[in-house]
Amino acid sequence: MNDAGLNMTTPPKMRDLAHRLLAYEAVEGKTSELEEAATLRVYEKLRQSLGEFVGATGFQSLAFRALTQAKSEAPGLWAVQIAADGSLQGLGEFEPQLVEFEPQLGSGKDQASEGGVVLIARLLGLLLIFLGGTLTLRLVQSAWPGAAFDDCNSEIRRKA
Amino acid sequence: MNTEDRVAINKLPTGVPGLDEIVGGGLPEFSFNIIAGAPGSGKTTLAHQFVFANATPERPALYFTVLGESSIKMLRYQQQYTFFDSAKLPNSIRFINLSQVVLEKDLGAVLEQITKEIEKSNPAVVVVDSFRTMVRKPQSDLDLQSFIQRLALFLASWQATTFLIGEYAEDELRDNPIFTVADGLFWLRQTPERNSIVRKLQIIKLRGQDSVPGLHTFRITDAGVQAFSRTFGLTGHLKDPPSHRRLCFGIPELDKMLGGGVREGDSVLVAGSSGTGKSVLATQFIAEGIRQGEPGIVAVFEERPQAYAERASTLGLDLETPQKDGKLEILYLRPLDLSVDETMHSILNAVQRIGAKRLVIDSLAGFEMALSPGFRADFRESLYRMIFALTGIGVTILSTVEVDESFTEFPFSTYSISFLTDDIIRLRYVSIDGQLRKIMVVIKMRGGNHAKDIREYEITSSGVVILGKRLTNYQGLISGIPVRSDRSDPSEEPSQDTGIEHKT
Repeated sequence: MNDAGLNMTTPPKMRDLAHRLLAYEAVEGKTSELEEAATLRVYEKLRQSLGEFVGATGFQSLAFRALTQAKSEAPGLWAVQIAADGSLQGLGEFEPQLVEFEPQLGSGKDQASEGGVVLIARLLGLLLIFLGGTLTLRLVQSAWPGAAFDDCNSEIRRKA
Repeated sequence: MNTEDRVAINKLPTGVPGLDEIVGGGLPEFSFNIIAGAPGSGKTTLAHQFVFANATPERPALYFTVLGESSIKMLRYQQQYTFFDSAKLPNSIRFINLSQVVLEKDLGAVLEQITKEIEKSNPAVVVVDSFRTMVRKPQSDLDLQSFIQRLALFLASWQATTFLIGEYAEDELRDNPIFTVADGLFWLRQTPERNSIVRKLQIIKLRGQDSVPGLHTFRITDAGVQAFSRTFGLTGHLKDPPSHRRLCFGIPELDKMLGGGVREGDSVLVAGSSGTGKSVLATQFIAEGIRQGEPGIVAVFEERPQAYAERASTLGLDLETPQKDGKLEILYLRPLDLSVDETMHSILNAVQRIGAKRLVIDSLAGFEMALSPGFRADFRESLYRMIFALTGIGVTILSTVEVDESFTEFPFSTYSISFLTDDIIRLRYVSIDGQLRKIMVVIKMRGGNHAKDIREYEITSSGVVILGKRLTNYQGLISGIPVRSDRSDPSEEPSQDTGIEHKT
């Protein structure tokens, strides 16, 4: 049984892909940008790419499901919400108490980084469940035409 | 207008096995088509097959989804088909969801969005799935008609071949102005017939070329839609000239009764009641063909191929080796909702695969039972089309048919299909000297001499063996209860019929 979508943690393959997409966008962006900016850019590219194909409502539903899953894994996402048009709101707002009383969760920057990875990985994980690896990678490729993907396990690299 | 002055209409492959033949060689390029039918009738799958068969990175396909099935679900299911090539996404095939525009705006905005995407991509193929859902919003028919008209004009100018997919019920076909705009109208039906489901496809209109009229059955398998043309894929095939070759059974006395064997390309009916050896005779016919270098096919409906081959081995006939050597195929056809066209497709494929010269259908009763109930009503007509098509390509067909044993009548077939056959061999039980024995007689041979003799035979470990000379010392043999006569001179030579056709 494929129960990846019911797991409490993100599938390692999608987590890895999310890491790479965020790293790719971090390099593409300005160094002075906050961590969450890379997450937002990855998310927006997915929203544009998937939105064309599933519609705004379809994307909003997927993103809402991904966020619900991600929140159980990354408490730093507590304030994040999905707007009606599917856009992401509240990223970068951290619960002060968590930082103060649960230092093992790391700083706000760590939380933002981890939360971004988890959210993107969950979103990609849903695509993986519904569409399978090949089509998911194809959709990711279309959103990042400047990057080269060999397969889900390979490195994402900039096209020469 | 001279032929050379006419514009040539390029024909595009439909991507649906069997459909190219039905539409007259392929779908006219730049045509504006509607695929209509009830939910679940295969409309989306058919459109996907066309898209995957024709989309290229240079001339991509745009697949607009509107309301209804979610795009993710659609791709989740469609990728299960073998024609689905993920590599074509998204460069050759782009899926664009228009639900937001449809929900929030009007048809004008939808048209604007579609035209914008078309101008951007210059597609060869455009699909709108399902355009009918746009109509369900409260707006007048004129709006939709105007929308379709403008879309059709725009897409024709952009040299795109288009499919609009819509859910329509049968009674909506008449007087629907939408359909007048379309160059092609494909209607897919899915109807329950007792416990079977029968799918049928009709090309209601197709401008620019001759399509095969009528209802064609189709099936949806893991390869997608597979259509079965009523012409069995033999459109344009010229009937082979009549052959003078004779095909033997390998039973010398029977071959002699048949004037040297059955004529190549004939349809032979072996009729008899249960246990008279119809299948044995059919097996010997196939085995002799293989011995003579003529590949054969046996279509069985009442037993599995393995059992059929094992039974043949008890008669000393090896059907295993020729199967391994590609000289024989035993087809087991019994899904209980077959159409004759589909059966024919399986048989024709096998004929072409191994270059078969002989075909055994064992039995017609089993064949009829394998058909969906609706097709059983047309059994005679379907059989006629099938036999005509197969014999037309030079295949010699031997069909077995079980007849009710009667001691007052001598029926040739319970199906009244003897007019479909060139040759009839009748087997029957007869009560002689306190024994139930078997007799055989050649009832008719179209276009050839045959013996008029009634011969006794037995089924031995070597198959059917004809005993002695013709039975001359009995009267009323074909009644099954003969009376011994005084005449007992079996020494005379078998007499030959002149080939005058019997009334059957």
